[in-house]
Amino acid sequence: MSLQREFRRGDANVEVRAELLAGDHWRVRVGDAQYEFRVAALGDGGLRLVPVGTDAGPACVAYGAPAGKGFQVRVDGHTFMLQPPAARRADGDSKDGMVRAPMTGTVITVLCRPGERVAADQTLVVLSAMKMEHKLTAGVAGTVQSVAASDGSTVEQGAVLLVVQRAET
Amino acid sequence: MAPPFRRVLIANRGEIAVRICRGLRELGIESVAVHSEVDRRCAHVLAADLAFPLGGNTAAESYLDIGKILAAAKATGAVAIHPGYGFLSENAAFARAVRTAGLTFIGPNPEAMDRLGSKQSARAAALQAAVPVVPGTDQDLGDAALIAAAKQIGLPVMVKASAGGGGRGMRAVAREADLAAAIAASRREAKAAFGDDRMIVEQAVFPARHVEIQLLGDQHGNVVSLHERECSVQRRHQKVLEESPSPAVDELLRQRMGDAAVRLARSVGYDNAGTAEFLLDERGQFYFLEVNARLQVEHPVTELVTGTDLVHLQLHIAAGARLTDLLAGRDLRPRGHALEARICAEAPEQGYRPAAGLLRFVQQATGPGVRVDSGVYSGWEVPPFYDSMLAKLVVHAPDRATACVRMSQALRDSIYLGIDTNVDFLRRIVDDPDFRAGRLRTDFIDRKPQLTSGTAAASDLALAAAVLCQAVAPARNGTAGGGTGATAGPRTLAVWQQLPGLRLWQTTP
Repeated sequence: MSLQREFRRGDANVEVRAELLAGDHWRVRVGDAQYEFRVAALGDGGLRLVPVGTDAGPACVAYGAPAGKGFQVRVDGHTFMLQPPAARRADGDSKDGMVRAPMTGTVITVLCRPGERVAADQTLVVLSAMKMEHKLTAGVAGTVQSVAASDGSTVEQGAVLLVVQRAET
Repeated sequence: MAPPFRRVLIANRGEIAVRICRGLRELGIESVAVHSEVDRRCAHVLAADLAFPLGGNTAAESYLDIGKILAAAKATGAVAIHPGYGFLSENAAFARAVRTAGLTFIGPNPEAMDRLGSKQSARAAALQAAVPVVPGTDQDLGDAALIAAAKQIGLPVMVKASAGGGGRGMRAVAREADLAAAIAASRREAKAAFGDDRMIVEQAVFPARHVEIQLLGDQHGNVVSLHERECSVQRRHQKVLEESPSPAVDELLRQRMGDAAVRLARSVGYDNAGTAEFLLDERGQFYFLEVNARLQVEHPVTELVTGTDLVHLQLHIAAGARLTDLLAGRDLRPRGHALEARICAEAPEQGYRPAAGLLRFVQQATGPGVRVDSGVYSGWEVPPFYDSMLAKLVVHAPDRATACVRMSQALRDSIYLGIDTNVDFLRRIVDDPDFRAGRLRTDFIDRKPQLTSGTAAASDLALAAAVLCQAVAPARNGTAGGGTGATAGPRTLAVWQQLPGLRLWQTTP
């Protein structure tokens, strides 16, 4: 059996293909590189990975779980949030002029109106979530095209709060 | 000793409610959890003997609703209420309402809370007790007066919610032009968090350490200091790592700060647990900030170095016991060194973006000298309505250097998957040479952008591991790809869910 996945790393996409050779012996291609591991599933859901080969590194234990649209893996004391290829960040301050709720929360105040010209780093919406205030910006300068959020409303993570039409430069 | 109460309601949620449940059970007291709608399977509900639904989701419509909490106590037959920290814990009106309802409030008497609960009255009490304070205003006479006072004190200043705590409703302001906006924003935060938007302005003492004294008083006029905790590693006045003893405090200073705190507590007739917070500048001069009239988040470090159980002591004190009996023959001098790290659902690498959502997998550190006070489990969906803290990782070791190594290792062993957490960030702090050397200041994190500059790109090993996890353990991860049959079934059941005999309270008459 084999399993292929593609992830984003830096600005490029990387293809990762795991292939069961025999028993617990797996070959994994990461881009152009190739690795082999002996893999043992631990009772708690972790995997013990023993690299095979002459300059193989030390054995380690890995844990993984889906997280949002991506996959989170913890190995060697570090957690990595791996994103699917070419995934746009669906939340936070994006660069497409869409101001989205980075998480579920309550809109405290909308600080602009449709038609208003705004700067890239201008606070447009103040959101309250987890008892803290978050100032949201469009990330682009331009004109406010539409405002979907209203003061006091509860919004879901990823909801578009307002749209800024990028100014022609 | 007989149990001080028969049944106690915990007016809180998450890790602190779980920790209080443990303390109650150890003393043979029945515990009552209350919960909002999204919290009906929260760890504290599963840990308690009884659970009572408050309805609603926001703090205001659940854990902050005094009427609902008192109704829950009445319905469940609780004879006392432990407020935990945050929520109603420092609300004197709540403490009074509890007393009026014929119940016992596990905390300071409301008269002492009145005098210490707000920053402005605490300042006045401190001045009276000859405890040094930071120069600043004593009351809120409106925005214009606050701005004028700030200019007179000299910038930078701190704008603080009079009723505040936990860093909410508090801002440092360096420029005159920013004052009005900072006051307005702090007022909003304070209104939402404490239902009180009064502000004060203080000189910003800087550079400084945050050092606080744990106090314990009884109803008979006895007050003791359980020494200091250092909580200098903060972000936006939210503590990140705490420890005891402080690397900056020697025996003489410990004595002086402890004496000042005890003097203040005695002068207002304080009882039960409380914390006097101070700023300690580089010359060893300390300034009183405020009293947190409650159990603190970071109380475990004090418990570990003094060999006490503060929740037990709170309960005994509330039932009228004397400190002289409770602590008779006890050596309370700090022993060894304890560190606490607050594990939060947030991504420090991405502007501390909070991360609500499904925690798919949780595995907490264990080992010699490791304590975890947790409010989450595998499969728990972290709601967006409350504080982002998931658990507290606490270590105890013979000395600070060993405690640091132990904490680093314990953070390495702490696994929280499904949402972003600050675990790796905490480990970078603990591994920082300045942290290891005890060179701490309240701007420690701000001065080290490398701590939050983002995780390195995923290694080949990480990518390979991710695909192997999906290939070999598809059942747990819920991903397609077939299995090898090599895995046991998913192990996402928390110990709470395996507990037998949980009785959920029936609300129908």
